[in-house]
Amino acid sequence: MDFADLNDVEPIPQDDGPEPVCSIAYSPEFIKAYDYLRALLKADERSERALNLTTFCLKLNPANYTVWHFRRRCLISLSAETDQTPAIDVERIEKDLDFADKLGGTNPKNYQLWYHRRALLEFRFKEEGDILQVAKKELEYVDKILDDDSKNYHAWSHRQWIIKTLNKTELWSSEINYSHSKVLSDPRNNSAWNQRWFALHEGKISSVYSNDRSAVLSLEKAKEEASYALYGADLDPFNESPWRYLVGILMEQWRSAKRGRDADDIAKVTGLIQENIGKIREMKKSWEEKRPNDHSSGSSASLLSALVDLLEIFTDAKESLTEAKALLGKLMLEDPVRRKYWLKREKHITKLLVSIEQKENNAV
Amino acid sequence: MSAFSSTDAETGAIGPFHDALHARYVVELGHRLDSPTSYEGAVTEHLRMSGVYWSLGALSLLRDADEVDASMGLRGGVDGGGEENGGGGRRMRRAIVDWVFDCRDPRSGGFGGNCSGAAFGVGTPGTATTTPCPHHGHLLYTLSALQILAMANALDDERLDKDAVARFVSGLQNPDGSFCGDEWGEVDTRFTYCALSCLALLGRLPIPRNDGEEEDDAIVDVRGAARYVMSCRNFDGGFGCVPGAESHAGQVFCCIGALSIAHSLHLLNEGRDGCDADLLAWWLAERQCDSGGLNGRPEKQADVCYSWWILSALSIVGRVSWINTSRLGQFILNCQDDEDGGIADRPQDMPDVYHTFFGLCGLSLIGHLEKIGNREGRTYREVDPVFALPTDVVRRLGLRAQVISYSNGDVEDRLKMHSILDGTKASLK
Ligand SMILES: [Zn+2]
Repeated sequence: MDFADLNDVEPIPQDDGPEPVCSIAYSPEFIKAYDYLRALLKADERSERALNLTTFCLKLNPANYTVWHFRRRCLISLSAETDQTPAIDVERIEKDLDFADKLGGTNPKNYQLWYHRRALLEFRFKEEGDILQVAKKELEYVDKILDDDSKNYHAWSHRQWIIKTLNKTELWSSEINYSHSKVLSDPRNNSAWNQRWFALHEGKISSVYSNDRSAVLSLEKAKEEASYALYGADLDPFNESPWRYLVGILMEQWRSAKRGRDADDIAKVTGLIQENIGKIREMKKSWEEKRPNDHSSGSSASLLSALVDLLEIFTDAKESLTEAKALLGKLMLEDPVRRKYWLKREKHITKLLVSIEQKENNAV
Repeated sequence: MSAFSSTDAETGAIGPFHDALHARYVVELGHRLDSPTSYEGAVTEHLRMSGVYWSLGALSLLRDADEVDASMGLRGGVDGGGEENGGGGRRMRRAIVDWVFDCRDPRSGGFGGNCSGAAFGVGTPGTATTTPCPHHGHLLYTLSALQILAMANALDDERLDKDAVARFVSGLQNPDGSFCGDEWGEVDTRFTYCALSCLALLGRLPIPRNDGEEEDDAIVDVRGAARYVMSCRNFDGGFGCVPGAESHAGQVFCCIGALSIAHSLHLLNEGRDGCDADLLAWWLAERQCDSGGLNGRPEKQADVCYSWWILSALSIVGRVSWINTSRLGQFILNCQDDEDGGIADRPQDMPDVYHTFFGLCGLSLIGHLEKIGNREGRTYREVDPVFALPTDVVRRLGLRAQVISYSNGDVEDRLKMHSILDGTKASLK
């Protein structure tokens, strides 16, 4: 950059002290560019040359949030006047999305880059034209990033934001397929499992906790999802993601049925949970047979923990609780790192068992 | 996950801790970043406010307040070294507190990450050579600025217009209770924590009343903030940056910290038949890797900074004992640079001040610093898991958040100034 078009600007140096600013080994231009930028910022000059200068400064340091902020102000000021609401010309938006893409390279971890895309798209989504196409193109961009780093947190959040903002059935269902492709390529990718939940619930607040039952999956859907989770778990029982997903799906059903207080619903969900408990027991058995001598890892803590979670739902069923208690004993031995956690859970179950016995004795 | 064999760590022996090296590392880092020839200084200049907070926080856990002031130059300038950089002799560095005030963005009322685009605070003492030109105000740096002022005992400095800063913070709240980081509108649960912590430090936080009545003149909607945080909870018990986003240990800290400051931890267990503080804590406990270190999400590498994000959250909900603290302590100690000081993200990596601070916080929260102090005849200050400040500072300011007691009703001594939610009730299991 030759700064020629800035010759009427008085640069503001970073240090006006008695010492001259030292020459900087990596780039004397760095200092110069930021000196000019400081001057334009101070004068709040939102011009084409200011925009060009931010381009140069961001190439030097893409993490500087003040420069990004100033850049967007320039883009708005340079765009055609609409009514009162700030807007950015579609062409400038496209160009800037491209700029952010090139700046980020294949693995943009820098938050500012993602935020810039989103700020631009917020303007873009308000414009005329085929917005769904714009969204799809952006999802393709994110896919390219996830190809390189499949757990990039910003990238997954960005996908969620696009889909939720447009809220189109087509995007929700294609996202389920997308997360499935990511699970297939790496079953341990927790982001992909989370995305599956997100897409199935259409971005609604986790109905595991919410009193709002409108987001809860239907019993049939939950059944399918439980099978899906077990299919994922069977690929690798040591993978915590499908186990958490399974417990989440079943817990959502259980809590929703309990809140609804419909005996029929509760019975159906109980059946679903029992069915899954049965499948996990079988899986546990077959894994233990496969690795009979490997005491420490013959059973996965994630598997055992999920089994305990489900058995424990039935707080007044003696056999269930007795089985859970035995599993916790096993976990204390096999997962000593979290021994105190398992111990605490075991104590809780013991308490439940004692109260059941008391009730039984009283009845007699 | 697999069974671990017994190690030194489990028998109670704690490896060497390089106290003097770490203190020197932190102090010298400030000088290094100021140097105009420092590349690291140039590319991190926009977040120098947080860098200074991490440095000050780290040194504060190693040294008492007077020593920190003397070597960092909190209120008076210090010799900034720098002869080796050529030019006109040694440089004096402006007092940190003065520089913090230079970074106030008068337009927004918040603090920016730096000012004048200059390397932090360099200048001739007493001569203000340029009018400061701060970066635009952002919640992240506003919190760092207030944390620095808190440690420097300068929150009552007449230059701090508390109402203006509080207005900046409250102006960033959205109708759904969430907060933006700055006027541009990026929403993240991190900012909820920053906002509530800022207001607490300013003494402007309206705590929701127990009678359920809203305060009419409250500058922020604290209940709304807590509700928003709860909407970011996932099926696995963890929290993400916005509703639906994957659980992430850093976000978990921000969410639990925010609930703690808002005295709303009871929401974790509201209206259900299981204890979800337990579900959360189990997710956090599962973050411990075979190396003993903690990761931020499933299948990610262990990293020293998660010692802070995870331990602080576990500490607030009274469940630190659910992880193996000896092994974690050993992992953090293995990340020390035993030649030049400082702590890295993982063994053999280059140290940086961020991981140095959070590594020390981790050692403090598991009681290792105290044990090392006993061994070496020193007293270390403790870190508060809610405010990420030394506990003596939190006590001096009278800050009162909320924590959950252990299942036996006890809390760690360091948490006793906070309001205590009964863990025996909080835990339904
Ligand atoms: Zn880290």
